[in-house]
Amino acid sequence: MFFLTYLRRELRRRMRQAIFIALGLALGIGLVVTVTAASTGVKKAQAEVLKSLYGVGTDITVTGKAPKPLAPGSGPPRGGQTFQVGPGGAQVCTNGKCHSAAGQTIDHLGSDSYGPISQSEVAAIAKLSHVKAVAGGLTLTDTSIKLPKNFGQPGGSFPTPSSFTVQGVDTSHLSLGPVSSGTMTSGRSLRGTDSTANVAVVDSGYAKAHKLKVGSTVRIMKHNFTVIGIVRQPQSGSPPQVYIPLTRAQALGTAFGGKSLKNDVNTIYVTADSAANIPAVQREIEDILPNDTVTSAASLANQVTGSLSSTSRLANDLGKWLSIVVLIAAFALACLLTIAAVARRVREFGTLKALGWPTRRIVAQVMGESLVIGIVGGAAGVGIGFAGAAIISAVAPELSATIPGSTGPRVVSGGPGGPSARAFGPALSHTVAVPMSASVTVAALVAAVVLAIIGGLLAGSFGSWRITRLRPADALAKVA
Amino acid sequence: MYQLTDVTKLYAKGRHTVPAVRDLTLRIGDGEWLAVQGRTGHGKSTLLNLLGGLDRPTSGSIQLDGKDLARFSESQVTRLRARSIGFIFQTFNLVPTLTAAENVETALIPVGIGAGERRRLVDAALDSVGLADRSRHLPGELSGGQQQRTAIARALVKEPKVLLADEPTGNLDEDTRDEIINLLEKLWRERGLTLILVTHDSAIAQRAQRIGVMSQGRLNLGAPAVRPDSDG
Repeated sequence: MFFLTYLRRELRRRMRQAIFIALGLALGIGLVVTVTAASTGVKKAQAEVLKSLYGVGTDITVTGKAPKPLAPGSGPPRGGQTFQVGPGGAQVCTNGKCHSAAGQTIDHLGSDSYGPISQSEVAAIAKLSHVKAVAGGLTLTDTSIKLPKNFGQPGGSFPTPSSFTVQGVDTSHLSLGPVSSGTMTSGRSLRGTDSTANVAVVDSGYAKAHKLKVGSTVRIMKHNFTVIGIVRQPQSGSPPQVYIPLTRAQALGTAFGGKSLKNDVNTIYVTADSAANIPAVQREIEDILPNDTVTSAASLANQVTGSLSSTSRLANDLGKWLSIVVLIAAFALACLLTIAAVARRVREFGTLKALGWPTRRIVAQVMGESLVIGIVGGAAGVGIGFAGAAIISAVAPELSATIPGSTGPRVVSGGPGGPSARAFGPALSHTVAVPMSASVTVAALVAAVVLAIIGGLLAGSFGSWRITRLRPADALAKVA
Repeated sequence: MYQLTDVTKLYAKGRHTVPAVRDLTLRIGDGEWLAVQGRTGHGKSTLLNLLGGLDRPTSGSIQLDGKDLARFSESQVTRLRARSIGFIFQTFNLVPTLTAAENVETALIPVGIGAGERRRLVDAALDSVGLADRSRHLPGELSGGQQQRTAIARALVKEPKVLLADEPTGNLDEDTRDEIINLLEKLWRERGLTLILVTHDSAIAQRAQRIGVMSQGRLNLGAPAVRPDSDG
């Protein structure tokens, strides 16, 4: 076909220039693909973190308002354990009652991260329009402190607390909440008939660390819970370690002030009937529970801090603008070089017009040449993009994400015992390590192809504009 | 047959208007060979451009077989050039990346002939100018005379009615000049072409049926010294 022969020969003649233009486009497109891949990787990491917190299918999470932290000099909290060293020796105070601590083991199941929300509010949320499903949950921490016999005596040992996170799961709504994001590796998950049973599903990481398997027992508040299943979950969000039926968690847990959690939850998981209605549902819930924290996936993502968040901003802001600038420069370069090439070929195009070639046929020839350069540049750009993504994955350090309002141990100074007083309970935030992996998506590849075609067509259009204005008599007069 | 009536072509040059062709009335018969001479800048090439539809007159009419080129749309003129008018340039104007055969083929692209037929016509055209064995050579691999032969083959491959040659021997040495003019004359005779040839060379002009001299945009026609159909 003459069109292709002419095109091939012309590109071969201008090989160096064609390669130069293609490389410019490749650089721009490669950068776009790399930045998109990095951004996608960061988003995936964020999604992984959020998914592990929310569970699959949860659009909105409501958490009870966190109780005020202990103020220095205030009395012992009724719902927590404190121990203090005073004139009467070491004492442990549970729910405000203090007694000698030596040799005792104290156990506490509660949360000072999230305040209680009445379970009736779950029903109220379920009645809202655009709400598809609702489940309440209790996010708690079981803290166990074994006090040595010589505790409080001169030279006595200091106790070491151990704790694990416990999630009370509404067994009638198992599709919502953190447990839904896991995969059962052995045994079974909780089910509706387990609502009052002392059964537990254990996170695989926790089970491995504590040599637990199906049939083992987990002790919570002096009650043995039989492990009925092991679940593997994304670890990036520090998932709960033990899942028990909500009713049992309510019966055993206490709120920060010592109040029983019976008929209370501290987390509510909500699914809207469509993504478009999430903001409206969020607003309605905020009206019902004005003192509590209503968080959508989007707003929680904004609260994630740490290097993951910084990298996300870097990819979205600097990376995006850098890509745009390089792309514009590459397009401009391609356009200028194409115009220059057309200017050098004025005699050729004038001759073709004299031979009776319609302008559109000459334009098609130039557009074809530009398009091929664009496609070659796009292909090279995709290669550069893959290479860039591979380099990022290979050399990028592990990122960290600091997630607000999740559970974990913390140590708080203060209390009536003065500086030596300690309280153990859940933390308000925690930091998790997130592996950074840049992945090139199909969408990025499609974008690269589209950009390549746009770049080629744009350059060709500028060249063609010159051709359409070319009068054959003028073109031939330049060389006559 | 060309019929030019009161053709004037003006060019804007700064604030002034310069007449390149003035009130030209001329008839060129089918199969006629007209040589146009004149000093540089006196309107020879402009006249050729007007005859080839590469430029439009400021006033007057240029009729080819009764159709006024001045009234044609751009696409109509383009089609006319594609089918009926062949051009030969002083600098050959071959596409440097295409072989001799492909350069000749460029003239057939706008005519809409199939690839097989195009190849046959190109081979015949190159054969008629004695370049059958150079068909795969690039212009850079050909001598000046061979390049001009290629350009002649390109002009004639579509079998036009009119051949417009703008100083076709201007870039050639004397021997090659004679060779090209002999070839043109032979083809003109064989094909019954209407040949309008612009030249500075009086020896070449003398071989035409008629000679016109362009001076200040006006064409002064004279009788040829030697008629191709005469003995001398």
